[in-house]
Amino acid sequence: MGAEYAYDEEGYLWPFFVFTLTLIITVPLTFLLVKRSRDPAASLQRIQTSFKHAHTDTVDALRKRDKRKDRKLWLILAVITGWAVIGYMLYLIQTTEAPTQKLWNPYDILNIPESATEKQIKSTYKKLSLKFHPDKAKPDPSKNETMDDLNARYVEISKAYQALTDEDVRNNYIMYGNPDGKQGYSINIALPKVIVSDGNGKYVVLLYSALFGVLLPYLVGSWWYGTLRRSKEGVLMESANRLFREYKDNIDEGGVVAALSTGKEFEELFKGDKSDSGLSKVESRIFAEGALSPLAGGLSVKDKERLENLDSGPQRKALALLWAYLGRIELDDPTLEKAKFAVAPIAHALNKSFTAISLAYMNTGPLLASYYASQNLIQAMPPKSSPLLQLPYFTPAVVKAVEGDSRIHTSIQAFMDRPDAKRRSLVVGKGLLTDEQYREAVGVAKQLPFLRVAKAFFKVTGERFIIPSSLVTLVVKGRFVPPGSENVPEVNPADLEDIDPAEDDLDAILGRKTKKQIGKDEKTGKPIMEESAGSDEPILAPLAAAPYFARDHSPRWNVFLTDSKQGRVAVPPFTFAQFDKPIFEQDGRTPTFAMQTLKAQFQAPPHAGHYTFVMHVVCDSYVGFDTKMEVTLIVEEAEKAAKMAVEDEISEPEEDSLAGIMNAAKGGAPPQPKKRKPQKEEEEEESDEESGTDDEDDDTSATNTDTEPEN
Amino acid sequence: MFEIDWRGLLLPFAYLVVLGGTFMTFSTVYRKRKALQSANLAPWFGPHLQRNIYLSLLHMEPEEGQEKAPKVPESVIRAALLRRAVEDIHRIIQIRTAKTACSSLLQRGSVGDDLWQRFQRAEKEMEDELRDVVMEANAIVPGWGQIIFQSANEIAANKAFRDRLDEIEEQTEREKEWWEKRRASIKNEFMKELEEEEKSQAKAGSEDEPVLVETSTPSATPSGSSKKKKGGKK
Repeated sequence: MGAEYAYDEEGYLWPFFVFTLTLIITVPLTFLLVKRSRDPAASLQRIQTSFKHAHTDTVDALRKRDKRKDRKLWLILAVITGWAVIGYMLYLIQTTEAPTQKLWNPYDILNIPESATEKQIKSTYKKLSLKFHPDKAKPDPSKNETMDDLNARYVEISKAYQALTDEDVRNNYIMYGNPDGKQGYSINIALPKVIVSDGNGKYVVLLYSALFGVLLPYLVGSWWYGTLRRSKEGVLMESANRLFREYKDNIDEGGVVAALSTGKEFEELFKGDKSDSGLSKVESRIFAEGALSPLAGGLSVKDKERLENLDSGPQRKALALLWAYLGRIELDDPTLEKAKFAVAPIAHALNKSFTAISLAYMNTGPLLASYYASQNLIQAMPPKSSPLLQLPYFTPAVVKAVEGDSRIHTSIQAFMDRPDAKRRSLVVGKGLLTDEQYREAVGVAKQLPFLRVAKAFFKVTGERFIIPSSLVTLVVKGRFVPPGSENVPEVNPADLEDIDPAEDDLDAILGRKTKKQIGKDEKTGKPIMEESAGSDEPILAPLAAAPYFARDHSPRWNVFLTDSKQGRVAVPPFTFAQFDKPIFEQDGRTPTFAMQTLKAQFQAPPHAGHYTFVMHVVCDSYVGFDTKMEVTLIVEEAEKAAKMAVEDEISEPEEDSLAGIMNAAKGGAPPQPKKRKPQKEEEEEESDEESGTDDEDDDTSATNTDTEPEN
Repeated sequence: MFEIDWRGLLLPFAYLVVLGGTFMTFSTVYRKRKALQSANLAPWFGPHLQRNIYLSLLHMEPEEGQEKAPKVPESVIRAALLRRAVEDIHRIIQIRTAKTACSSLLQRGSVGDDLWQRFQRAEKEMEDELRDVVMEANAIVPGWGQIIFQSANEIAANKAFRDRLDEIEEQTEREKEWWEKRRASIKNEFMKELEEEEKSQAKAGSEDEPVLVETSTPSATPSGSSKKKKGGKK
């Protein structure tokens, strides 16, 4: 009685095998397809505006084309084939009758319930044997029975009886499922017999070698060269290499734009004679005299020289078009206009690579230049131009009406802080804005997410002092206050605290989201949880209001620390795109002014002392929304900190334990008894003051409405 | 005794041959392409102009019709070598600052492997170049090799400093111009106010002012403000 291996001759097993295999492949692919075809930007909030410029259609068409590019034909085909195969296999499984192998069940044979007692079994057996004993029963010709059948039936009945009464037979039955002991069994391989039958062997070998000799190496190779082709930032490796070569320590935004034009992507965009067509026209337009800057493209003399020194070719055309885009220059040619709007997203993608490169050098100047270039590219504004150009309908003429001859640009915040009548009188008029346009512009300005930093400080979770080489958290507290918001509530001082989760609150320590306990029911002692409306989903800022940028872009905020004396980046940027509290109410217009917390962890310096950093909070999508402030990190000697901590804690343990007992008596789960909370907050604040992390600058910025933007 | 069925073994041998052949072809083709690629890598730095000048000064060919090459004064040779050292200093600084950045970017996969190869080649070339300069310097003046880079470094630093100064001084003209315009426009505004006040009164007064008002009429202001944008650059 050995095991027997057999191929699936009846063809009832292999559909299961194929079904499972296809399902394993198809389901993830389907998921991928659904995820891709669902536009992620559609679910995001947008800045509500009806502003349209002359080329909105071109920009929209480019946006759509980009989205379509994401959908891959092969994926759709693969998914359709997969589901078709699954369907067919299901049909096969349904229709093919599997050879039934009934389990040998003595109860069924004796036709008694499984709960039958021994007595019942015996009496049933006796009855049955009286009826079916071969000596008694006669074969029924109408049922086509023979003597053998009768014999077999009787043997079955007596076997069943024995299985239920005889010890040995019963053991056999329990162990092997059969009263006769171990049975020979066969294993079926879920592959159709066809593949091993004569004559088909060579096809199978052919398929096998095609699969493993051709397809597998091809897939592995294409994957490998695919990873080599593109850098981590998603640009072509060759472009990244060129950008690295273009990096200079004193590069400015104009230089970054020029560096970006070296991208190989542009060579693919302007193949052949496309690289020269219309170049002279574009150049003459951008070198024309501009309204706000000497050159219409907004480029400096140095940038002009740089452009003119280039050999004509894809790079020169890309650079000229980039400047035309940044200067919002009308090119009067549909092809050129389309190219103008197409170069900006490419340059923006390349800029990500440039940011990574400048970050590797750790110099502040190039990193900031790269971020500013990103802002300029998204908003289609020349470097160092007025932030007011971000508002719809704001033409250079309008900007000039606001700024006059002043050389310091008016930020949107400053403009919107002026009384309505005053700013209206400045910008509404002949050749400037109409009343309607003004309302629209103000409406957009009041939706722009300007992160006003209220406080920034350092702390080590669970510790009162920052000791050398500890893991410091930079906590930035700020609110989204759109420019020109009225009735901004005062900052609630409690919001500015960052309270460590209690030591036994594992969820919070491990970063799991829990509802915050806000109180306790007096009678039952059950903690009352804060109503958190949709706090499980991360909140994103509305898509950047960028009518000229041919991509949907979700704004990000980069927080990093620099050493102003050496001009070096001290703590590399942390990027925030998601926030813990809603920025706008459901209608998408009314700001909530909720206090947002941004946290960044880094290692403290290895030596004690006072370290003064400049903290930059740079938004990558809006110009003039950046914050720059000084923060001081105080690192204490490890021994000193330990001593101070001990001195402070002398009276604490008792209370702690008392609180613990009370807590336990109340039935336990809540980690923080209410009574202790205020005291803890006090401590927190004290330690903040002692470590001096929030200096004057922070305090003023908390109350002062216009945090000095950098520039 | 043993009958070897050669025909039956044909298939396994054919398999081995095909397998080995594939690997061989693949590896040779791959290596050849790699070698070609690395041979075609663009050099990190452009042509070394200062070195070329120095070398051509050193090996002056005699002009046609003349027996002897023109004699190059020793001071010119020394100056050329010093210039060459200064350029080397620039390059060495660039290489030093780029090295950590390049290797960290390579690890992260932000730049490609060939960039790193080019970089390493440039580094090696720079080492040879430095050694060469030291030897040349020692050949001209014994002992100069030890200090030539020190002086070159000072020259380079001085040059960078001067460039920066020039850049700042370049702005003065534009700033001045902008301020003149701005002052004029402010003055203009004040004058207008004054004029309006005076309009009610009898026309009398200043002699030289009207000229100024006329020259800085509003038509002059646009270009003035556009200049200011330029100057606004820090």
